[in-house]
Amino acid sequence: MTTVRCDLLVVGGGPGGLVAAREAAGAKPSLEVLLIERDRAIGAPVRCGEGVGSAGVGEFIDPTNAPWVARRITRVIFWAPDGTEVRVAEGDVGFVLDRTRFEPALAAQAGTAGAEIRVGTEATALRRDGDRWMVATRGPWGDVDVSARVVIAADGVEGMVGRWAGLDTRVPSRDMESCAQYLVTGIDFDPDAIYLHFGDTIAPGGYAWLFPKGVGVANVGLGIVALKGDKRPARAYLDDYIGAKFPRATKAGYTVGGVIVHTTIKRTVTDGLLVCGDAAHMVNPLSGGGIVNAMKAGRLAARTAADAIEAGDTSAARLQRYHDAWMAMLGDDHLRFYRLKEALGKFDDGFYNDLARTVNRIPQEKRSLRRIFGAALIHHPTLLPVVAKYFL
Amino acid sequence: MPRIVPPAIAIVDLMLCDACGLCLPLCPPAAIRLRREGLFVDADVCTGCRKCIDPCPVGALHMIPNESLGIPLLVSTIEA
Repeated sequence: MTTVRCDLLVVGGGPGGLVAAREAAGAKPSLEVLLIERDRAIGAPVRCGEGVGSAGVGEFIDPTNAPWVARRITRVIFWAPDGTEVRVAEGDVGFVLDRTRFEPALAAQAGTAGAEIRVGTEATALRRDGDRWMVATRGPWGDVDVSARVVIAADGVEGMVGRWAGLDTRVPSRDMESCAQYLVTGIDFDPDAIYLHFGDTIAPGGYAWLFPKGVGVANVGLGIVALKGDKRPARAYLDDYIGAKFPRATKAGYTVGGVIVHTTIKRTVTDGLLVCGDAAHMVNPLSGGGIVNAMKAGRLAARTAADAIEAGDTSAARLQRYHDAWMAMLGDDHLRFYRLKEALGKFDDGFYNDLARTVNRIPQEKRSLRRIFGAALIHHPTLLPVVAKYFL
Repeated sequence: MPRIVPPAIAIVDLMLCDACGLCLPLCPPAAIRLRREGLFVDADVCTGCRKCIDPCPVGALHMIPNESLGIPLLVSTIEA
């Protein structure tokens, strides 16, 4: 059995792990950083709708003329359950990414900063070895034990590294969105807009989306909470949805996966180990978006880990700074978003159809979030307890 | 440690499974393993709680009577 030693091992080559590797290697050039990724390619297969807000992603990598931007988005269109269309935002909304290029771009930066990346390599177990972690890995170079002073577990929805280390990363069924998505071609839509479609029969507990990847090409998918559905799998809901909404669509590809719409796990750190991104349930529970969150957490985790290694103290008490910083940055917001999600989920389709019509009475150019909120509250007083829950 | 044998346990239909790993954090005893070769349920760890069944986005997880994992099923499969 070969053993490799490093200062920091990052498990998972998604946005969170890659930013963590880049930031750690960049912060302390003497730090030996190794990143392992189970899949054979960084960035593929894609299990994602690929939508991100423009401000968030630009904090980490320059989107100007970037090959990983599939489409710039300037509009958000909501569809009420009955199909009523509501246009809400105009301006610099965000991007639809090409993640098969986005992650390789981050990986290149991590590599330039000095991190080593091993693809096709999975973590299979880990155990404490003095003040280090010994992580068993398996890959094209055979079975390798990696001995690391600190481990960053950025291993995604399916991640088990945190759990092996004794952290509780389990998800209650009601907080798991089951998602399916097709890459659809040959349909008509506004290629500058993302579409979000709500409805209890369309996507119980979640929503359907259309994210353009180009003119006439889009990621069309949906997420459901299985407990709120009729026992059919998410892909069956999606087949029905596309059949009804885009009967002439060509399905050029598909992907499925889970989105954890929960709140950050209670403990994200233990001795010598930090969990970040989807693995730590750092997804926005209202939108299901997690890419930028994972990158923000990856950066925090890397800085905390690098400082801890330099200080010679990688104890949970020291690494707790990461958890506290995350909660202050976004984790506490997610607690509020989660309560809001729960409250909004109690309304039926009729309510959302009415709400859409209320919003449409406001002229589009005056449709700011504040105005929508105000009009909604006047016309739909049942929203008041929901708003109260959000602010309390 | 003695373990109560559940009447039914989960199995994966590998023809349907996309190895997305959604079921792993849902599994209380961590009976589901995801490897590069695919997904499998450890029959000795599964408690038959069913939490993984409905959320699977492609319907790849099913419950199967525990005793059918034994010799009689294998024999009947061969005979069929």
